[in-house]
Amino acid sequence: MDFLDEIEASVPALRRYARALTRNADRADDLVQDCLERAIRKRGLFRPTGPVQGWLFRILVNLWRNSLRSERRRGEHVGYDTLLVEPSIPAPQHGRLALGEMNRALERLPDDQRETLLLVVLEGVSYEEAAAILGIPIGTVMSRLSRARAALRTLTGSGDEPKLRSVK
Amino acid sequence: MTPNPAPITEDDLHAYVDRLLSPARAAEVETWLSQRPDKAAEIALWQRQNEALTALFPPVTPELIPDRLKPRQLAARPRGVTLNWQQMAVAAVVILAIGTGAGWTLRELDHPPESDGLIAAAVTAHALYVKENRHAVEVAATDRDHLVSWLSNRVARPITPPDLAPEGFDLVGGRLLPAAYDEEENGPAAQLMYQNAANDRVTVYITAAIPNEKNAYEFSSRENLDAFYWSNDRITCTVVGSLPDAEMKAVAKKIYTQLTWRPDGTDSAKS
Repeated sequence: MDFLDEIEASVPALRRYARALTRNADRADDLVQDCLERAIRKRGLFRPTGPVQGWLFRILVNLWRNSLRSERRRGEHVGYDTLLVEPSIPAPQHGRLALGEMNRALERLPDDQRETLLLVVLEGVSYEEAAAILGIPIGTVMSRLSRARAALRTLTGSGDEPKLRSVK
Repeated sequence: MTPNPAPITEDDLHAYVDRLLSPARAAEVETWLSQRPDKAAEIALWQRQNEALTALFPPVTPELIPDRLKPRQLAARPRGVTLNWQQMAVAAVVILAIGTGAGWTLRELDHPPESDGLIAAAVTAHALYVKENRHAVEVAATDRDHLVSWLSNRVARPITPPDLAPEGFDLVGGRLLPAAYDEEENGPAAQLMYQNAANDRVTVYITAAIPNEKNAYEFSSRENLDAFYWSNDRITCTVVGSLPDAEMKAVAKKIYTQLTWRPDGTDSAKS
């Protein structure tokens, strides 16, 4: 398989992750495009070792972190909600979480927890792969997952279980 | 089932929810959960969280990839034509980084890769000093022996300035700078500056190796500056410049070759 074919095969997965990170379809495609351009340029000088897809994810994550950082420093906020294509949200059924509620909860997660949780859940990568992509130790992956899941439980008010309701 | 399975850990529970366990181990987790309704309720909630996230961000159809995300079209396109949202954002980072000085670190992030901070510092230092005329370097190339021994001592690695004469670049000199690996760890960095007949300048930013870091390579482009970063078990090196693509690659390759092939500090300036 040619290098460009390998990259192409990863594009749907990159887009999915980028959409979840940016919550804005256009912005997600900008991010993926930048990632692909860098990968193609970088290839001319240094050949990546290991699977191409993990390497692409690593580039994408670093680009995303850079852009978050610059936004913070400018004190600007891009309107996440305004441009996000609203997913068709079915009425919450018994035992399921309302998607709108989950969407809002996700937005309130710290960046590091969100990037970790989404990578694991949406892309189905192993914890070792996630650690390599995010450039963090595997123990940090696990602690971020733990904190993310606990935070989502609080943020979605999923204290439907009687024992949790009393906490409020 | 084995009578005494390995204890179920928190990590097992996450892996169970994320479907990363073998069927045998997953069955052990289920048995364990069946005796702990409180924990089972929490795990069920985690599963519902996963379902909700998957529903919010469904897989992307491969057939509907726009042209601008097709690698073959991107590879065929001349670079530098478009400036998208992302590139403008990166440019803003550099401008801000320059404003806050070379000790700029990435504090908002939990644990950014050390290379991020080093590349940012190298780019910042480049942007700052290439504009200088009389004070571009602390020690000029005319005092080469002193430059080499001083920077080698401070960085604690033998630093032999690469010979870029075949590429048309002469050593201007060098200076000592702070290098921020991360919030806790700081160290010295050596910056070497080169210049060609057209007054294009390239800088090479060298630090001692990051502990426990394996060989790494990274390319990034910030504002109009290209940065090639690599690390091995002895040093990290970031080459920064704004040359045409082919020339930048040639220079970066030459520097990489010389610094990695002769890490013992022997004279590499033979051509």
